[in-house]
Amino acid sequence: MKRLKGRLVWSMMAVLAAVLLAFGATRSSGPSTQEERIDAISKRLACPTCNGESIYVSRASAAESIRNEIARQVAAGQRVDDEIVAYIESRFPGSLLLPPGEGVDSLVWVLPVVALVCGFGGLVVVFRKWKREGDVQANADDAGVVAAALRDYEDPTEGL
Amino acid sequence: MNGASRLARRLVPVVGIVLVAFFVVLAVSKPRGEAEVSSPLIGNPAPAVQSTIIGGGDFDLARRKGSWVVLNFFNSTCVPCRNEHPELIKFADEQTSLADGAELFTVVNDDSDEAVSAFFNEKGGDWDKVRDPDGTIAVAFGVAKVPETWVIDPSGFVRMRVAGEVTASLLSTRIAAMRDMSNGLGS
Repeated sequence: MKRLKGRLVWSMMAVLAAVLLAFGATRSSGPSTQEERIDAISKRLACPTCNGESIYVSRASAAESIRNEIARQVAAGQRVDDEIVAYIESRFPGSLLLPPGEGVDSLVWVLPVVALVCGFGGLVVVFRKWKREGDVQANADDAGVVAAALRDYEDPTEGL
Repeated sequence: MNGASRLARRLVPVVGIVLVAFFVVLAVSKPRGEAEVSSPLIGNPAPAVQSTIIGGGDFDLARRKGSWVVLNFFNSTCVPCRNEHPELIKFADEQTSLADGAELFTVVNDDSDEAVSAFFNEKGGDWDKVRDPDGTIAVAFGVAKVPETWVIDPSGFVRMRVAGEVTASLLSTRIAAMRDMSNGLGS
């Protein structure tokens, strides 16, 4: 009965965590200001003339020009963020900082989740095994071994 | 003498040779020249370009239809831009002598009117210099580094993109071939 109750609690916690994760991943953060949109788009694109810098971070001339173009398109209000990113990507192929969630590229997103789940599952298995081993009771033979060892033990401080 | 210092003494000449070889390669290697590169824009209508011209006047690429147009993205402090300038002068002179010669325009990339005017006054070149103060034209064409040269046909379609230094012979030859092809003379 106690074990069943424990499993129920763990199941409820798992369901709750899954629901909260799903909610957090899908909920809209609400309307953004133009500045927030420009920053968010700039962070998704790589500077075409620098190594490993986003448009948001870089001060290179090309990055400034792309940031200006993003600002112009955001102000025009005719394209959503993904469309603006696609426009820049069409002009500067390979400028996407984050790989799309399609094809082999999707492994970048899937593998960490799989590793997390496997790691968590492994921990559960190991903890349960340790718990099972901790339940082992000493039998009469074990007690005899301990008693014999105690008898043979010589206290090093004895006689000081 | 211990092992470490012996190893260090052996490494010194090796490092010296590698450094000398490195500087020799740098000294004798030629800078990267012209390279015709691909672009998603090639074969498609050129982006809309509207701006102003240094010295006065407006520029609208759509109004250049009917002529072959060459856009050269330029910055007066860029060494390859300065190196290719005599070739652009030669190309512009060649095209002026043709009945249907191409029109050459400089698109100023991240540079001031004063610096560009001073450069052209000193080095020559009387074609129009189009301002691009916020980089809109550069982004529309996907230009990240200068110099770059683009060729647009009389129908307004992008035909060619050259990254790096360009030569008059490359531009003239390729435009003549494309012109012949569009006139039905090509095979």
